[in-house]
Amino acid sequence: MMRELERINRDGIIADAAAIILSGGKSSRMGQPKALLIFDGEPLILHIVRKLQSLFTDVVVVAAPGEQFVELSSLLCSQPDQPNELSELKKPNKPKVKLVRDEVAHQGPVGGIYYGLRAAGREVAFVTSCDVPFLNLALIFYLTSQISNHDVVVPHWQGRFQPLHAVYRRTVAPLLKEQLERGELRPIYLYGKVRTCEIPEEEIRRFDPEGLSFLNMNSPEDYEAALTRWEEKRLQGLGPDSQLSAFSSKPSREGSVSCTVELFGVARLLAKTTEVSLSLAHGATLSDVYSALAERLPILVGRVITPDAGNLSSGYACNVNGIDFVRNSNVKVNPGDRIFIISADAGG
Amino acid sequence: MYGFHGRLLHVDLNTGGNSWLDLEQSRLRAFLGGVGLGTSLLYDFAPPGVEPFSPANPLIFTSAPLVGTGLTTTAKYAVVTKSPLTGFIADSLSSSFFALELKRIGLDALVITGQAASAAYVCISDEKVEIRDGSRLWGKSPSESESMIRSELKDPAARVAAIGPAGENRVRFATISNEGRHAGRGGVGAVMGSKNLKAVALRGRCGVSVADPQGVEEIAEIVRRRSLGPVTDKYRNIGTVANLAVFNRLGTLPTRNFQQSTFEHAEALSGESLTENNFSRRHGCASCTIRCERLFKSLSRDQQRLEYETLFALGPLCGIEEPEVVLQAAHLCDLYGLDTISTGGTLAWAMECAEKGLLAEANDFGLRFGKAEALLAIIPTIAGRSGLGALLAEGSRRAAAEIGGETMHWAMHVKGLELPGYEPRSLKTMALGLAVSPRGACHNRSGAYEVDFSGQVDRLSADPGRGALVVASENFAAVLDSLIICKFLRKCFTDFYAEAAELFSKVTGWPSSSMELHRIGERIHTLKKLFNVREGWQPEDDWLPARVLDETLPTGVVQGVGLTAGELREMIQAYYQAREWDENGFIPEKKLKELGISTMQNENCKM
Ligand code: SF4
Repeated sequence: MMRELERINRDGIIADAAAIILSGGKSSRMGQPKALLIFDGEPLILHIVRKLQSLFTDVVVVAAPGEQFVELSSLLCSQPDQPNELSELKKPNKPKVKLVRDEVAHQGPVGGIYYGLRAAGREVAFVTSCDVPFLNLALIFYLTSQISNHDVVVPHWQGRFQPLHAVYRRTVAPLLKEQLERGELRPIYLYGKVRTCEIPEEEIRRFDPEGLSFLNMNSPEDYEAALTRWEEKRLQGLGPDSQLSAFSSKPSREGSVSCTVELFGVARLLAKTTEVSLSLAHGATLSDVYSALAERLPILVGRVITPDAGNLSSGYACNVNGIDFVRNSNVKVNPGDRIFIISADAGG
Repeated sequence: MYGFHGRLLHVDLNTGGNSWLDLEQSRLRAFLGGVGLGTSLLYDFAPPGVEPFSPANPLIFTSAPLVGTGLTTTAKYAVVTKSPLTGFIADSLSSSFFALELKRIGLDALVITGQAASAAYVCISDEKVEIRDGSRLWGKSPSESESMIRSELKDPAARVAAIGPAGENRVRFATISNEGRHAGRGGVGAVMGSKNLKAVALRGRCGVSVADPQGVEEIAEIVRRRSLGPVTDKYRNIGTVANLAVFNRLGTLPTRNFQQSTFEHAEALSGESLTENNFSRRHGCASCTIRCERLFKSLSRDQQRLEYETLFALGPLCGIEEPEVVLQAAHLCDLYGLDTISTGGTLAWAMECAEKGLLAEANDFGLRFGKAEALLAIIPTIAGRSGLGALLAEGSRRAAAEIGGETMHWAMHVKGLELPGYEPRSLKTMALGLAVSPRGACHNRSGAYEVDFSGQVDRLSADPGRGALVVASENFAAVLDSLIICKFLRKCFTDFYAEAAELFSKVTGWPSSSMELHRIGERIHTLKKLFNVREGWQPEDDWLPARVLDETLPTGVVQGVGLTAGELREMIQAYYQAREWDENGFIPEKKLKELGISTMQNENCKM
């Protein structure tokens, strides 16, 4: 399995795959849009997008038309959409996502998956919903890696398929369209018609023993319970998805520059380590250090390291050997350098 | 008037009387609120040369235009007075619900002069002002006083700022505290104590109106969203205690009274370890989305607030390595109402004296670097001014002057205010910022260290270019502290002055510009300096402690790094030049005119 993962994870990000988040469902019992439920001060959808961006270059959000679309667009898109924006302002901290309308409302997940696959334009896509706070990157990574000889990879958990935590090949889109036309609104009808890889429970448990990945929220009580769980997870180490690191560490590359990255603050807590040794090709730059680090510790991507893994996020700074603060990521790394990744704000 | 109420309340404790006075629009526009307005009122209300503990020294609480507008991090107020520690301006900020209530009283400033005949507290409920008996509260901690006053007033919604025993006993670095937060530096609590004033209780119902509510709301929403982005990751997920481990690694963590700048036990005290081992709760000021406060649990308490400055001052600065001890010491400082930086700084001075056999009284406590029991035993004596505590309650400058000799060499203060947790020798821009700050050694009234951490300069070498950088940093801080916006929001702006001007315009309805705010920042800072000059400032006051200039750093990546008197002098000269002051640091009349200061102050004096 390691070889398979390495092939897919050539650049630390799964090649030619997208993530699709379905946000068009009804939130009637919840009483408020599920995508906007607040976790740790931010709408859930932002957490989900960020997390998926550490694995996928493209993230597509499929939203219901109308009010929800407008709301999500102001939250997620980098195009100014508010005429009264502060002049000269960019919106710095928005993740890069493609937002599409669920063209006909309430066609259920089949509609969402279909519009998402169409918009994503990638060979395969991992599909999830917008109300799952505990996505497990290691599991998602594994599911995606199983697609090579299949059209669908779908987990089977506690006697049920999990179509909204599954991987679909783009080629199934026409079949979904036919299903829509026939009114077959359950994705499960698809599975008998294409090459479907069912992932059994014991396999899932290797990554996610409690099946938290499939825990969605339908009522305020579910939300309360999820918040408590979230806080527990946060206290245990700032995030539920550190599992991935076990699967993505690769043997050091042949290279002539060895350096050590020292992690401080949030980076250290996320990575659960104080330092990482790297071996890079001759002539490597800080940008290469960030990419290699992203590969080793995907948990840092989207948070400490930019989603393209080429630089540090705006809240972080780099100091080389405890002396120079270096902002330019094209600066070359010298053998034996110790590279500190710290917060860019030294206020106290 | 929008954003402001256009009036101040003057309470005279000598007579028990009070009066509401109009605040001219010209003054509010020229100085905003917070620190700016407070400085302007201090200049007018304080008789020149007033003794800090004289009843005539005004204690000024100010609100600000952004308070109550819903903009994140703006629930703040300033306390301004003449400092008993420095003899110059003390301007201190605190925050949360007391700040919101102050604005709801319907005033922009509360000026308290005089001295109550016996222990008292002031209670303001909208227009009604009462001076009430405070004898029952005397000796109580600030938080206990808060709850006692609430029950006495039978008003659980009343908001209270109070002093602890340290303020009552005029410890020169006593704080004023509300809801667990402190107006910490410069001894504002001691001035309050000298007035026999235990607390100020507020209950207001006066709404805040802004000129363009929708416009303000839109900007507030944008800033709110940014405040949840990566630039505030540190504050949201660890808090300021995150500084300790990295400062240690960079050789900027003052240790054992600035004898070293790295601490061998830093990892045990690091914010990362505290988060893993002692985290109890995340908390924040009212109206704040960042919520940088961290409460940690210790063996004796479930929740103790801890900031980097407290952690450094009661930890490495005193050679203390156990988080448990730092948390307990922090709790004692909260309980007595002591500024943790000055407490740690003064104790570190005493520890060094004791180790060198120059402070015999300290032997009774076994006071030495790293001695936990001694640290915990001596803090209450400072608050009570008993025994050795009476000497230490004077702060490191006066204590060293009293003991004399070489102990003055290691009294680590500027203008009498103890140094914060940023080693000046390995942060050269900060070194200049600390030397010239009107408040004394201060990391808040300029953020000069940000320049050192930015990569735009070599932090280890001094050059005259730092002059202009410190000026810019001070003016920026003056605007932040007067609007008021929390400094931890500062990186959430792409063009601070332009954006703040737009916001200010929408709040007040006064068309403003980035240029105007730049000018206001300069004006406020200049007036602080003008106040200091009036109170006897001399060029030698802008200087750093002898140790910084005589000793190089002995450990870590900065081993061998120092700062010479010549380098400091050169940077100070460049700073005066950038300020367009004369070569001795006095402000030419021309500059005052240009900033409109002389005219305005004359007008103000008519009040
Ligand atoms: S960032 Fe921290 S200090 Fe600033 S307003 Fe928020 S909680 Fe208070």
